[in-house]
Amino acid sequence: MEEYTKEEFMTAKKEMDQLVYESLKGKEAKPNVMFAKMSEISRALKVSKGMVKWARVNSLWPLQFGLACCAIELMGFGSARIDAERKGYLLFRGTPRQADVMIVAGWVTKSVVPEVKRLYEQMTEPRYVVAFGECATCGGPWFESYNIIRGIDQVLPVDVYVAGCPPKPENLFEALMKLQDKIGGKIED
Amino acid sequence: MTITRINIGPIHPSTHGVLRLVADIDGDTIVRVEPHIGFLHRGVEKLAETRMYMQNPPYMEKLDYLAPMSYDEAYVAAVEKAMGIEVKERAMYIRVILLELQRIASHLFFIGTIGNDLGQMFTLFMWAYMDRDMVIDLLEEATGSRMFYVNMRLGGVVRDLPPDFEARTLEKLNYLQKRMGEYESFIEKNPVFGERMKGVGVLSSEKALDLGVTGPVLRASGIEYDVRKNSPYYVYDKLHFEIKILTKGDNFARYKIRLLEIKESIRLVREAFKRIPEGDALGMPVKLRSPATKEKVAVISREVPKGECMMYLVADDQKPYRLSIRSPNFINLMSISHLAQGVRTADLFATLGTLDLVMGCVDR
Repeated sequence: MEEYTKEEFMTAKKEMDQLVYESLKGKEAKPNVMFAKMSEISRALKVSKGMVKWARVNSLWPLQFGLACCAIELMGFGSARIDAERKGYLLFRGTPRQADVMIVAGWVTKSVVPEVKRLYEQMTEPRYVVAFGECATCGGPWFESYNIIRGIDQVLPVDVYVAGCPPKPENLFEALMKLQDKIGGKIED
Repeated sequence: MTITRINIGPIHPSTHGVLRLVADIDGDTIVRVEPHIGFLHRGVEKLAETRMYMQNPPYMEKLDYLAPMSYDEAYVAAVEKAMGIEVKERAMYIRVILLELQRIASHLFFIGTIGNDLGQMFTLFMWAYMDRDMVIDLLEEATGSRMFYVNMRLGGVVRDLPPDFEARTLEKLNYLQKRMGEYESFIEKNPVFGERMKGVGVLSSEKALDLGVTGPVLRASGIEYDVRKNSPYYVYDKLHFEIKILTKGDNFARYKIRLLEIKESIRLVREAFKRIPEGDALGMPVKLRSPATKEKVAVISREVPKGECMMYLVADDQKPYRLSIRSPNFINLMSISHLAQGVRTADLFATLGTLDLVMGCVDR
């Protein structure tokens, strides 16, 4: 390997800077994608209509919110084997203000209902709810208990139900694909 | 300095379930922490009184959803004791193998989440969850379910181990043992991990006995107590294993003890496979009427991954008259008020994480 003295190095750096400067001269700076207009992006992506819907379908961010057993399978959904990132469901958000979909995983007791409601109200619209597992769907094995509400649909509007006790992480993947179809208008409400 | 009171939870990304903590902080140092529980209460003990004996195991599994089989086994053992039923020799070994695999899965999950609690998102979690999935696959193969197994029947198990299960398990355990070394070097060579865990949340051995904590939390404080050794059940007295103890009692010791216990569990499973006899292992099928109970009261003590679980069963004709559960999680949680005094606010979750709590078991 050749070694350069400090002076040689500095001249090389100057020459490189000059080359970059000349190559950029006379060209327009590219617009920052972050601040581009929606119409520009839709022209670039060749989507004439439904740009917002397209974006909504492909970046569903779930809320990091687990109640009971199903939350363990929810973690499995985010882990290496399932790799939820490939369909855009990455990033379990810690705050409801950044989340699009709430996955209710676990039994909902009477004391936790106000908290769940409040989380739902804090989410920005449009917001979606997935009832994950038997307990969130209908009360599950606890349907006779005195402290359980029999299904989260008594409190929140549910979009997709997932059956199973607990459902496998794959089932959640399928449920979110169903939800994408629903948002995209492929499934009637 | 003024003391500020902050509220954490009940729904918070890092409280391991639905737990509410009220903390008084002085600057960044915690003066006092008070846990508020009961957000997952659904009345398991009351529901158990309305179910037949063998309808209850699925409910017991939902107490601790990281180690369901341990609780399933503890309940069935209590019913067996009340009815005076002997467990078959081969079934004992199968139970021990599955329970130890369950312990490995539970402790691996702990190692994964401790990284998250320290803000190390998500490398350690991905590693540990991948290895946990591997162990869960073994359990799924042996029992037929991924999470809630309901594998115990009176006097035995539902089904025998599948063919070639031994070879596949040993192969995966060899891999896991190699991985344990990788975890150790990954975690312990990391200076941030050491600095934030060593000397934080110290629980002295006297205080540990006073608070009544059990399991890895107690053994990390230097007390040699393990139900598997002190009052052995099944074939634990024939198998060779050590109770690992550490003396420091800080967060790092509580992490390390679980890593050592995984290694011990691997050793136990290997030896159990060497000694397992041929024969019948199937338990009684679940029928409309179960056998008559002989004893009025049965008390069972078991070493579940989180600590010592006790089942107190008052027997009636076909249903439990009363079932009381000593939850190790509930008692370990109560030590947080003592442990968190004087730690930084950011380390509160790491301290809580090292107790390895499952709120479903705390609230019952």
